[in-house]
Amino acid sequence: MSSNNYWKGLEELDQTQEFVSSNANEFSEGLPLEQVFSNEDSTRANRRDFLKYFGFGLGAVTLAACNKTPIKKAIPYVEKPDHVTPGVPLYYASSSVSNLEGFPILVKVREGRPIKFEPNKEATYFGGGLDGLGHSALLSLYDTNRLKGAMINGKRKAQDWISFDKKVTSELEKTLTSGKSIAIIRGGNTSIVLDEAIKEFSSKYNNTNVISYNPISYSGITRANKASIGKAIIPAYNFNQADVIVSFGADFLGTWISPIKFHTDYSKNRVPSEDGKMSKHYQFESLMSLTGSNADVRVPIKMSNVSQHLVALFRELGGNTPHQGMEVVGNNIKAAAVELKAAGKRSLVVCGSNRQADQMMVNAINMMLGNYGTTIDTTNHFNGHLADENDYSAFINDAKAGKYAAVITIDANPIYSNNQSKEAFAKIPVRISTAITADETTVGATHIATNLHPLESWDIKQPYQGRFVFSQPTISPVFDGRHVASSLLSWAGTDVSDKKEVSHAYKYTKKVFTQIIGGDFNKAIEHGTVDQLQESTIPSFNITGGSIADELSKVKGSETELILYQKVGIRDGAYGNTPWAHEMPDPVSKVTWDNYLSMSMPDAKAQNLNTGDVVLIKTNSGGIELPVLIQPGQAKTTYGIALGYGRELPEDVKNDLKDLGKNAYPLVDTKNGYANYFSGNVTIEKVAGAKLYEFGITQTHYSIEGRDIIREASLDEYRKDPKAGSYVHKPKMISLWDDYDYTKGHHWAMAIDLNSCTGCSACIVSCSIENNVPIVGRDEVRRRREMHWLRIDRYYSFEAPSKKDLNLSIVHGGEQTVEEGELMTKEKVMEAYSADSDPETAYDYYQNVRVAHQPMMCQHCDNAPCETVCPVLATTHSSEGLNQMTYNRCIGTKYCGNNCPYKVRRFNWFRYNENEKFDYHFSNDLGKMVINPDVTVRSRGVMEKCSLCVQRIQSAKLTAKRDNRKMNTDEFTTACAQTCPSNAIVFGDLNDKNSEIAKLYKNDRSYHVLEELGVKPSVQYMTKIRNINETNNQPAH
Amino acid sequence: MNIPKTQIVLSTLFVLLSTTSYSNNNMSSFYSESTFLALIILSIVLIAISVLLYGIKRHLTVLNNEKNKQEAEPSLYERKFRPIIEAWNPTVATLIIAGAVMLFLGAFGYKFGMEEVGVQQGYAPTQPINFSHKIHAGQYEMDCKYCHSTVEKSKSASIPSLNTCMNCHKYVKASEKYNGKTSPEIQKIYNAIGYDGDNMEYIEGYEQKPIEWVRIHNLPDLSYFNHSQHVVVGKVECQTCHGPIQEMDKVYQFSNLQMGWCIDCHRERGIDSENNDYYEEAHKNMLAEGKDYITVAENGGLECSKCHY
Repeated sequence: MSSNNYWKGLEELDQTQEFVSSNANEFSEGLPLEQVFSNEDSTRANRRDFLKYFGFGLGAVTLAACNKTPIKKAIPYVEKPDHVTPGVPLYYASSSVSNLEGFPILVKVREGRPIKFEPNKEATYFGGGLDGLGHSALLSLYDTNRLKGAMINGKRKAQDWISFDKKVTSELEKTLTSGKSIAIIRGGNTSIVLDEAIKEFSSKYNNTNVISYNPISYSGITRANKASIGKAIIPAYNFNQADVIVSFGADFLGTWISPIKFHTDYSKNRVPSEDGKMSKHYQFESLMSLTGSNADVRVPIKMSNVSQHLVALFRELGGNTPHQGMEVVGNNIKAAAVELKAAGKRSLVVCGSNRQADQMMVNAINMMLGNYGTTIDTTNHFNGHLADENDYSAFINDAKAGKYAAVITIDANPIYSNNQSKEAFAKIPVRISTAITADETTVGATHIATNLHPLESWDIKQPYQGRFVFSQPTISPVFDGRHVASSLLSWAGTDVSDKKEVSHAYKYTKKVFTQIIGGDFNKAIEHGTVDQLQESTIPSFNITGGSIADELSKVKGSETELILYQKVGIRDGAYGNTPWAHEMPDPVSKVTWDNYLSMSMPDAKAQNLNTGDVVLIKTNSGGIELPVLIQPGQAKTTYGIALGYGRELPEDVKNDLKDLGKNAYPLVDTKNGYANYFSGNVTIEKVAGAKLYEFGITQTHYSIEGRDIIREASLDEYRKDPKAGSYVHKPKMISLWDDYDYTKGHHWAMAIDLNSCTGCSACIVSCSIENNVPIVGRDEVRRRREMHWLRIDRYYSFEAPSKKDLNLSIVHGGEQTVEEGELMTKEKVMEAYSADSDPETAYDYYQNVRVAHQPMMCQHCDNAPCETVCPVLATTHSSEGLNQMTYNRCIGTKYCGNNCPYKVRRFNWFRYNENEKFDYHFSNDLGKMVINPDVTVRSRGVMEKCSLCVQRIQSAKLTAKRDNRKMNTDEFTTACAQTCPSNAIVFGDLNDKNSEIAKLYKNDRSYHVLEELGVKPSVQYMTKIRNINETNNQPAH
Repeated sequence: MNIPKTQIVLSTLFVLLSTTSYSNNNMSSFYSESTFLALIILSIVLIAISVLLYGIKRHLTVLNNEKNKQEAEPSLYERKFRPIIEAWNPTVATLIIAGAVMLFLGAFGYKFGMEEVGVQQGYAPTQPINFSHKIHAGQYEMDCKYCHSTVEKSKSASIPSLNTCMNCHKYVKASEKYNGKTSPEIQKIYNAIGYDGDNMEYIEGYEQKPIEWVRIHNLPDLSYFNHSQHVVVGKVECQTCHGPIQEMDKVYQFSNLQMGWCIDCHRERGIDSENNDYYEEAHKNMLAEGKDYITVAENGGLECSKCHY
């Protein structure tokens, strides 16, 4: 496809004056030189001044030199543990901190401090990846806002656990005779250790009610399964077995249920095989989600109409119903139905609605297709997110009525995510929190039995039925916390003191293991997972689709609607104190550090709103003020707000993570007996007098200037010619330099498959943690000073119109400007809508955009332009093909950044780790523990960029040399490639003919970005193939 | 006239002595002691006294001359320096004097500046335990790797933990030198780890305190150095970089640890490509090119990102 059809943001598409002028410069803000020079005195220096400064300088140097060199200490162990070798990392199998339901990972530990998470490649069922939030949650261990130990009424006063337990036990024992109950509010933690502890606790306190609580409800699915198959469960979905995937608003790659696993499974069928087969993905949704951005066919619909669409699909598939259902534009439901039928039981239909009837219809459709037993497993089902909000609202009502005497919250922060909670909690006299970090719920707690951080404690979780994931301590407790199971047992009368330096939690975990799982405990801990699966059975159905269709056809769509969604980086907001997640740009909108009201272009034009205008949105449940963000691809008359923002953290919480965005949880509509994330009939009004809000957005930073950077083709074209989409004529290369022979030794290279890459941004966070990349904060991102070594470029392009679309919006004034199936260039769309006289439909085209994601980092060009312009040789080339950056030589001219065609070099404007202005954990002693000791912490004034994880290369080479053997380059990989849940990034040695990279380099889809420049990059991309039937993507050249 | 002269000469000598003392490896360092400061203060006081005395003497002479109606004797400056300066071009003279002063200050600044950036060859701080490598590595010929056990596995050679010391010092107390009592230096180990030397047993529930050694070799954060690379792969002797460690009662920094020093070695030293399968290809290429050996530099050992990342 021709390159000039891509655009990264609306500013670029419109070519607004501001955008053009700011992009002409390397830096968005000029240096304040003029200001300095406009001051007349400062420009003239006379001889006397010169002598004064010279004399002062000499004196100052002499004085400064009189400092004593600081004495550095080297403190060895008194008794060194056998397995610890200072300077060599240890890896412990554990469970991801941000996934409460459990997700296997490895924790890299250096000298007793966890410094990075890595995927547990052995746990293949979960896929060998990890997401951005998962990586980012490591910082929660080193958070200065962590609670330091047991507290009563907000005070610590050296509470020792024995006196604390006495007080709590006496309070709890009082409830036994009061006739009132104890509530345990339990978050989505699937820990079987906690299960057992709660059981023992309840046997003493028989007035205990355990209430499951999740901020995000999936009760639609659990209730539907209860009704359909008699089990209130969320099934396990196997996207790897699906040839056709149809999703109705389920963001399964971003936020829905278990996205990391879904990523790996999904990507397995996304790369076209040699015989030209790949899976087909239809996405019907309102907002532009990460999943939607990867769909082959994405249809913007209103989520209030999702029921009608399901009915239509049911009917098309041959379901027995008189109802027509609904089809918006084109024949997408029909087309999907045809493909679903053809795929039979190798298909999957999922839906993000939380309405029970919708999910029952989805079940009926999947049953008709025969997906139970292939793509859907209800036997070894998912165990997380099982909470039903009705249980919690019953608790709220009872608490308000004074039926509870005590409440214990475990892994839950209900006061933040449920606006009824505060009032209900105030009615309960004893409020015990077991949080790790100060949050909304701990503020009002009477007793805080501070839990151990998951990285400090033992645990066994069961994310899927029969699949156990183990946690083990990777650091000795940083503060005086105690395992929540030990706390519960202590209040139930067990002695939980540590015996002979063996913690009670360890013994108890081992006991639970022996009781429930059995086998070799040490082996289980070593590998991190144990499977005890049952043979899958196909459930029998109680309810037919026809009756559900009757019910669904009564559901009316609404005029306007608000969709509350989760952002990929932040999710439900529980780990809102992890700055890496906030700094990670949203994969689609590329906004950092904020939530916003996203709206479609037609709506924005109709209401005369622009990105950054602050509006008040009102629903039945309330209203909030937020700035607007215009999102291409979003369906007309739908609005989106991300949950998980607007934390009201206690006042003494230190760092810049307070006051980010607004809390949208109060807008969740619970009037119909379920948590509905789609509110109908909302109104929007511009807030008078509000200042235009500036987002920290990386979207149009580094523009493409219409170059041929991203390449794509349809599957049809690919079948005809595997080289489709790539340049027809390769430019003739003439080099200014003598070519270096890289065939000796190693030649490091990288291949990135644009078909597998979903843009999930896990690599960005993994890279940042591995390479000590500083967090700069919203204000610096606004100035385009984000430091990420790796960014993911997201390109939009317009879809080619269908016949019906042509009638709708391209034909204006009786003149048809675009042929059906013709490629929609930016210019053609512009021309079409500028000629449109009908304001209703003029901007509808912005709903139909396609998205391509492209990770971009230093390309390690063999003829690197940055190297030739560096005046001090701070950036040079290695014999192994690496573009080396030597920080201590760099004097910060930024010439290299200017001369880089890929715009991947970053300048350190500040000493981020020693500057109080950047209070993102890196500037305090606790946060510094996360720093990778093998990588230099850069000071201000130097350039930096991707090094292809040279520290890992060197380490792997050294291991081979020490072992006296040849190197197998597939034995290690870079931080980005390692974490990629869809295996889109492959790194290796081109000179090793057996390596994966050497094979990929011969792939027909391969191309180098901007290869016509002759810079010979070492990073290669593979053309994106879309599973669509268009044949119009001819190269423009 | 003789007294002030001697004073000046003496104080200058003091200053020179105190500044040069630092380059003497075996002299106790001024880092941990305030000797240097005391010497400076002393010399300033001495200079002040001599100036004062000279002034008084001159004043007395003038008074004496007035009393005796004698012609005033020209001052030292008038007699000695003025003719020289007058013989010269005054500009040249001023420049020379100013130059000398700047040279002095500059040398001063340079020396401390070097230390400030971490170049501290000869650094020999006093350690919490007077551990002698001369006795352990020299006299008893213990293998370096016995104590610095991670040198073949890790980037750091590591200072041994106390339980390594206790392997021998559980029994070895050097009491023969101290009238049957445990050597006070060895007692420091016992105090840290909690060992009762008299009854030869560990003390239950003792709060152990690690020994805080003063780090001698300080590479800056910007450079990566790996001991195992040099010791195992490069087969470099410890003494090549650390000097005659087996003769040192008190360890001092033998090499300057500057980049030029690293590079010099990388340029000259060969790779044992014959006996390491990792270098199989490099070895083949070497034979094809008819060379006897390849140096570290020829294998890319001078490239920036081999040490800086």
